[in-house]
Amino acid sequence: MSIFKAPENTPVWVDEARCKACDICVSVCPAGVLAMRLEPTSTLGAMIEIVAAEACIGCNDCELNCPDFAIYVADKSEFKFSKLSDQAKERAEAIKKNKYMKLSA
Amino acid sequence: MAFNYDQYLRLEKMPTLWCWGCGDGVILKAVIRAIETCGWDQNEVCVVSGIGCSGRFSSYVDFNTVHTTHGRTVAFATGIKLAFPDKKVICVAGDGDALAIGGNHTIHACRRNIDIKFIVINNFIYGLTNSQTSPTTPQGMWTVSQKSGNIDPTFDACNLAIAAGASFVARETMLDPKKLEKVLVKGFQHNGFAFFDVMSNCHINLGRKNKMQSAMENLEWIDSITTPLKKWEALPEEEKMNKFPTGVLKHDENAREYCDMYKDVQAFHQGKRKAITQDDFAKKI
Amino acid sequence: MELREIISTGNDLAAEAAVDAGCMFFGGYPITPSSEVMHTISDLLPEIGGTCIQMEDEIAGVAAAIGAGMAGVRTMTATSGPGISLKAENLGLAQMAEVPLVVVNVMRGGPSTGLPTRVSQGDVRQAKNPSHGDYRSITLCAGNLAECYTETVRAFNLADRFMQPVFVLLDETIGHMHGKAMIPTPEEVKKGIVPRKVFTGAPEDYRPYGVGADEAAVLNPMFQGYRYHFTGLHHDAKGFPTEEIETCRKLIQRLEDKVMMHTDEIELNEEFMCDDLEENDVLIIAYGSVSLAAKESIRHLRAAGIKAGLFRPITLWPSPAERIKHFTDKVKNVLCVELNIRQYTEEVERVSSRLDIHGLYKVNGRAISPYEIVNKVKEII
Repeated sequence: MSIFKAPENTPVWVDEARCKACDICVSVCPAGVLAMRLEPTSTLGAMIEIVAAEACIGCNDCELNCPDFAIYVADKSEFKFSKLSDQAKERAEAIKKNKYMKLSA
Repeated sequence: MAFNYDQYLRLEKMPTLWCWGCGDGVILKAVIRAIETCGWDQNEVCVVSGIGCSGRFSSYVDFNTVHTTHGRTVAFATGIKLAFPDKKVICVAGDGDALAIGGNHTIHACRRNIDIKFIVINNFIYGLTNSQTSPTTPQGMWTVSQKSGNIDPTFDACNLAIAAGASFVARETMLDPKKLEKVLVKGFQHNGFAFFDVMSNCHINLGRKNKMQSAMENLEWIDSITTPLKKWEALPEEEKMNKFPTGVLKHDENAREYCDMYKDVQAFHQGKRKAITQDDFAKKI
Repeated sequence: MELREIISTGNDLAAEAAVDAGCMFFGGYPITPSSEVMHTISDLLPEIGGTCIQMEDEIAGVAAAIGAGMAGVRTMTATSGPGISLKAENLGLAQMAEVPLVVVNVMRGGPSTGLPTRVSQGDVRQAKNPSHGDYRSITLCAGNLAECYTETVRAFNLADRFMQPVFVLLDETIGHMHGKAMIPTPEEVKKGIVPRKVFTGAPEDYRPYGVGADEAAVLNPMFQGYRYHFTGLHHDAKGFPTEEIETCRKLIQRLEDKVMMHTDEIELNEEFMCDDLEENDVLIIAYGSVSLAAKESIRHLRAAGIKAGLFRPITLWPSPAERIKHFTDKVKNVLCVELNIRQYTEEVERVSSRLDIHGLYKVNGRAISPYEIVNKVKEII
């Protein structure tokens, strides 16, 4: 089985060297865990960032939909994922409306 | 534990040359997960790809890989499979590679029912060469070779495969990689030709000029033209024309596989050839 | 060398030779006058556990054959002129990716559909460059029945030695000729099999295309733990596509040098009655079925007091430049006889630096008789 262990106490982590800032993971995340930040040295001038790790529900959609092997999700034995809250859903909507960029607040 | 794709990748070739958000990468991951689920050893798998963006598939995965000429993917794969019938051969080609220039080979590979897994990455355009019309480009869409809107009718690749005799035919989209993985596993475990029409997004070439600039918009469009098979069967006839059914569309477990049938040919010829000896000539004189 | 007697046709002998030389795969398509190669081999291969498949078209035929070659087995296809035209793109891939393959071309009247059931030698120039780009073709031409067997065997060994397609040109006359031939026994052939080089070190050290500047790639069969990449794009030592300046230059130069720096291993000629030729004698250059008529004409000429000799290249490409020049420097009257218009004559002109080469040509699907050659020679001198 090709698996590897998640870093300590981390639901989702990113390999920034591989991210091409395509926005797909941000758009499929139901809990507003992910957003793009400005990053002048990388593709499209943006980079993925985990803005709300505690809200991650472990649905794995970000990992499944990432074309570039850039994002990974722990499994249930390694992290206690939360349930999807309304606040998380709202944040997800807001990030999408903000062109997938981090909300400034 | 997260799935570690690195074992199956040629890491020195990363990052992929595909555009940001290109479905090819997601399909690559689904194929790798499917191979792992099936328990295939890396050394017994051969991945053959054609020309186009999807053609670069084979150079990224760490199997025995071949990058062929345009359209001839399944023909090369047929030779590889017949030379070593117990190994696993997966073909990856684009919609132009498989259905235009390679149409004939696709038809006959389906007909032969040879145990090859043929994944057609259908992004409705010729992506790598910048937006020329492909056999699946919807009518009316802007392409660089038909700027007034594509007039060419399209066809349904899965109907073609079924009519040509493929024993396993399935269609999936990029929208649900988990579903795609399940369908791939089913097809990989099927003993016979498996045809997958995987609808993917090319928002950079098809999308940008056809009001689908982002990957998500392109995927939403694909979502709007597809529906699961059961729902599709329940639609009224006029609406069926506008949507593609997804899921496993045909699964004939009884069709005999080609290499299997060739074993009968080999058995038939055992002992048939009489060796010519000098005695034969002596007798004539 | 142990020989045995056999009564067969040229096409059948090519098929027998392939199987005796270790061929395990044939991918092809029917085309007159080469179909019999496939018919015969479709009986021979399955018996030894090999595979013969008639594909849906010529292109698929050679693609399947090349695929099997990539997988690691000895492989072959057979066709005629129109088929080579169709196969050209994939032949280029086999050259670029360095896949061994034997291509039998039983030549018929051309161009295009031409004369499907009649003889010609019109594909000689095409065999030198069937596909686009820079590479060197290895082309052998059988000049009698026995050579349909021996040259096919040699082709397999050359293909594995140089890791590229090797053409075996028969013409319709020789392909369909039915007669007696003395050929090596299968045991002799087996002793002479030289399979492709294989790397036996650690997989992580394996560089299939990372070989010396005049060497052929070392391509291990698939499925044995050595995973690498075949492609028609310019590629690096592991086979991965690249556009890097030096790598690309070295790759194409190596494709050239791997053949041209080792022509001694490829060249084969027959010099029939050439030892005593002097300046005012006649040198005939011919190959394939025409050489049979040429030899007969030489017997007549010599009986009539005219000293004539035949230089017969058996390997047509790369051409035996030195040997041709040796004779064209010595002998004033040189006559090229071919069933095409000047295809090999132009090569003779090029290597001899002479523009006064005489020619006897026929392109209407009929053979050239010994008397026509005799009369032409008498005209020249």
